[in-house]
Formats: sequence, C-alpha cells, structure tokens
Amino acid sequence: MSVLVVEAVNLKKTYMLGKVPVDALRGVNLKVEKGDFLSILGPSGSGKSTLLNLIGALDKPTDGKLLIDGVDISTLNDNQLTDIRRKIGFVFQFFNLIPRFTALENVELALSIADVSKAEKTKRATELLQTVGLGDRMKHKPAELSGGQQQRVAIARALANSPRFMLMDEPTGNIDSKTAQEVIDLIRKLNEDGVTIIMVTHDQHLAKEAKRTVQVFDGTILSDLVN
Amino acid sequence: MKTRDIFSYSFSAIKLRKLRASLTILGVVIGIAAIVALLSITQGMTYTIQNQLSQGLATDTLIVTPGSSGGLGGDGGGFGGGGGGNGIGSAGAPSSNFVLYANYTDGINSTLSPSIQSAFAIITQGGYIQNAGGSTRTVNTITGVDFASYANAYGTTFKAAQGTIPLDASDDEIVVGARVADPRLNGTTFVAAGGSVTLSWVNFTSQLSAINETMTGTVTAVLDGIGGFSFVGPSDTGVYIPLQTAERFFGTDQASMIIVKLVNSDNATVAAAEKALNTYFQNQVTIISPSAVIGLLTTIINILGLFVSGIAAISLLVAGIGIMNIMIVSLIERTREIGILKALGMKSRTVLGLFLGESFIIGLIGGILGIIAGWALGRVVAVVVERLFSVGSGLTLTPILTPLVVFGALAFGIGVSVIFALYPAWRASKLKPVDALRYE
Repeated sequence: MSVLVVEAVNLKKTYMLGKVPVDALRGVNLKVEKGDFLSILGPSGSGKSTLLNLIGALDKPTDGKLLIDGVDISTLNDNQLTDIRRKIGFVFQFFNLIPRFTALENVELALSIADVSKAEKTKRATELLQTVGLGDRMKHKPAELSGGQQQRVAIARALANSPRFMLMDEPTGNIDSKTAQEVIDLIRKLNEDGVTIIMVTHDQHLAKEAKRTVQVFDGTILSDLVN
Repeated sequence: MKTRDIFSYSFSAIKLRKLRASLTILGVVIGIAAIVALLSITQGMTYTIQNQLSQGLATDTLIVTPGSSGGLGGDGGGFGGGGGGNGIGSAGAPSSNFVLYANYTDGINSTLSPSIQSAFAIITQGGYIQNAGGSTRTVNTITGVDFASYANAYGTTFKAAQGTIPLDASDDEIVVGARVADPRLNGTTFVAAGGSVTLSWVNFTSQLSAINETMTGTVTAVLDGIGGFSFVGPSDTGVYIPLQTAERFFGTDQASMIIVKLVNSDNATVAAAEKALNTYFQNQVTIISPSAVIGLLTTIINILGLFVSGIAAISLLVAGIGIMNIMIVSLIERTREIGILKALGMKSRTVLGLFLGESFIIGLIGGILGIIAGWALGRVVAVVVERLFSVGSGLTLTPILTPLVVFGALAFGIGVSVIFALYPAWRASKLKPVDALRYE
C-alpha cells in the first residue's frame, strides 16, 4: 500500500574543501512515504542541508543510492535531474521569489517552465494563490508583501506543478512568530489534503509540528521518531 | 518553456536595468547606423555614376585618342614591322609622332568590324565667348563636331531646349550648353537662341607672339540642361561649332579624339570593336570604353564602400564586447535567480535561451534604431557631400537603402549581439543550482 517517494540507501556525500575532503553525509538510510510529513532536524553543520540538496535533486551523491519517485538520481545527467526537480516543490527560507514579478507572475513562472499554456497558467496560478489565502494580493510584487505572505506565494509556486512532495528549507526561519504560525497551519492543512512534505529545520519547536522527526547529526541519522 | 515565455522573461530582465540596457543598445545603434549610412551613400554614389554620369558617357561608343597607352606603347616597337599598309603613321614609330587626323574617320566603318556603326571626329580648344552686349565669358571647351553624328551618338543629351540643332549646319551656326546661355541657371540670360556671339581663342603656336583668333556666329540652339558632368559627351558649359568651321577656326585638321559609335553596348561588341580599332591604328592610339570607365568607377566605389563599412563593422564588434561585458555582469547579479529557475525545473538550454533572448532583443532594438539613424545620417552626409564637392557639376547624391542593406544590417546587429552573448549565456546555463542558490 505504501508508496515511497524518497528512499535513501547508504547515502554518502563528500565535499572537497580546498584539498581537504569533508564527509557531509556518511551513510544515510531514509524512507519517505506518500502523504508523510517529515521534519529533518539538526544543528548547522550536521549535514541536513546536504541531505536537502540531494533529496531536492540539486546535487548528486558521492556514493549510495537515492531514489526519488523510484528513480536513482546518482545515475542521472543534469538534464534528467532537472526533470526530477519538476516533481519537487521547493520552499526556501528566503522565499526566493523573483522580485520584478508579481505574486501571480511568480506562480505562473513555475507553470511556464513546465510548458503550461497561457490561459491554463493564469487560471491555475489564481486558484493556488486563493488556496494560500492571497486572492487579494495577486498583483503585488514581493517587496509589497509581508514575509509570511511572500512565503505563501512561494508555497503556491511550489504547488504549481502538483509535485510528488514538497521540500521546505526553514520555511518559517525568516518570518515573525505570529505569521509563522499561519504558514505552519497552511503547511499542515496541505498535508491533511494529501501533500507529502519534507521540512528541514534546526528549530525543535517547528519540527514537532510534523508527523515524524528525523534527527541528523554529524552526517548520520541519530533518531527517526513519530511525533 | 515556450519561446514566447522565454522572450517575455528576457524582456522583463532588460526592463529592470533600463539605463544599462539603453547604453548597450546605443552601442549597437552606432555600429549599425554607421554601416547603413555608409552603404546607403555608396549605393547612392553608384546610382549617380550609373545614371547621371553615364548620360555624358554613351556606353555604345568608343573614344579614340592619340598616343598609345602605357603597355601597348611599350610593345609598339617590337610588334611593328611591315610598315603602315593603309598609310596611317608607320608601324613601330614612337607614339609621339603619331597624329590623329580628323579624316581618319573615313576608314572607320562596318567593314573594319561589324560592331562599328560609324565614326566622327572632335576637335576641341579652350577659348572665350562674347555676347552682343560685349560681355565675355571663358569657355572650357569649344568643340568642333558634326552635329548630326553628335546627336546620333548622344541623343539623350545633345538636344535643344531652345531653337533647333541644325543637322546640316552652315559655317556660322553655333550650339551652346544650358549654362552658357544662362550661367547661373536663374534666368539671367547671357545669350539666347538666335543671338549673335563672337568666339575667340588665343593662338600661341603659329607665331612668336600670341594671336587672338575670332569668329562670329549665331546661336541656333541652346541645349537642354544635362546636369551631371561630361567626359566626352555634351556638357552644360560647352560651345559647339561644325567640324569644318573648327578646322578653319583652329587652323588644324588634327582631331582631339574620334568617337566611334557601335551597334550596341554589349561587352562582346565593345571588345571586338576595340580590337579592330587597335589593329587599324596599329596600337598607336588609346581607346577608352565609357562602359568600362563606368564599370571601373562603380567597382571602385563599391570596394571603397565595403572597405569603409568594414571599418564601421569594427565599431559593432566593440558594441558586441559591450554586450558580452553587460551579460557577464548580469549573470553574476542574477546567479541566485538562475539557481531558483533551475530549482523550479528549468533546463540548462532554457537558461541559455533566456540570455540569448536578451541579447537578441538588444540586437533587434539596436538594429532597428540603427537603421533609422543610419538612414538619417546618410541623408545628412549626402547633403554635405553635395554642397562641398559637386558645386557646378550638378551631380546629385541621394542615399539609397536597399532591402538587402536593411535586412543585412538587422541580421548583422542581431548576429553580433547573440554571438557575443554566447559565452555569458553558456556560463549561466552551466551554473550548478546548489552553488547558485547559495550565492548571495
């Protein structure tokens, strides 16, 4: 019954820092099922960002296997990695919206990249922005929106191409605590509606919002607990 | 990503940095404008030569002047032998001794070569013309020629605006050019058809002291304004008298030149006639083919035009380097943006397309503005050139913009822009999303 969207098998990643090899991940095993809400918790330098980059198909592992939606990304070329990334909805700490585009255009951009037609694009982007509660802010540029609103635009953009799972990097790390709760509520609601969510954070409080917490330390998984 | 979306994205990036984009575009505009201006002027000059100049240089004629041309003259001695069978000079004699008599035209006809229709002699002399009121003007050339033959060879220019050209002229009948009758072409008449004039020239040759030779005649025709400048044919500043009158008045039976009218202006006809004439005159004459002169001038102008445009093209290369520079700056500024796009699933070749799209838009806008600016610049330069160099000649210069130049310049502008953007675009496409997203 369970469908695996992410499966890491003895996943290793070594960086070269100048001439010194740094083992960022030293054999990680992880399974994420469809519908899961997972938080990856760890202090800075623990390897959680490296794990995020790999799960996001932004980087390739040094050793081991990483299956995203059943495809081992260690064997893929850049072009094929890009195709995989279209199945992932990214939400970043610093929102990473394109400043010159309105909220609507930012969401439409993700749809343009996936070759969606003009009419379909506007319709879908509008729906998504209404879903995240920004129906009245669609023509605003990021600079005219609060941090929480910007992050909600980013979530709408991440949802645009109906991703297999959403990958969030400190989604509330740059938002004040009051609006952060609104974003967290939105994320929980999305998960309740069936969206698989993988969230990376160093905030224990935020991690508890997920169904499951994976603690990463020194390149390995320390614990994997259901909240 | 759809092409339309790529262009709209590129355009939004250009709009973000208006001043920078404008300056980059200006570089392209200057380069294209220079090329378009120079090429349009060159083509205007070619048109001037082929149309205005060729009016005075009938292409279906050959002009025979005494004295063999360089190479042939040198060979003259060696080739000679045999002696002058038809009594014209002696073969192998130094060309300086050769005299081109006006009556040599008698032997030049279709029996020499089927290309030849007829021939007539011209005797010219500089002098003066005095009107009934006693005022005198300098005449560059008083031309003695058979009016009927002249009209036959130069039908488009040797035609009367006032009076009629007497085809069987009596001794004292004179034809004058438009600017002789009305020197400033503003209605101040020096002489009109029917007016009496006195021609004179200063004879230094026959006596120790100079003698002022004069003759009086009646202006029977004033030529239509020709414009342009005349090489051999009728000119606005010319005075024409019958050949036999000239022989008496100038005291000579030596022709300044013999004009040979051909059956047509085809290259083969011209070449055959030239060969026949060289044989007839035993290489003692120089034969000028007006069509060859026009061809040569056109070629020179075109080569010069291309050469100068080539220099202008260098300015476009400078603009290209500017584009490359700006693209690299833009690439560095937008590293994070590229990371976002790649995280959203944009392919490397689409990123390449975004940057090339930007340079395409810069090249397109620069090209269009450059063509407009070049056209305007060409017109200004043409007016200045006309004022400076063609005073009195009546030559006009209008820049000509052909579709080939327009589309060529546009393609060149876009081409240079895109080529110089290739490297920055390639670098952008090769950015690793992880590194790009980390970039601050």
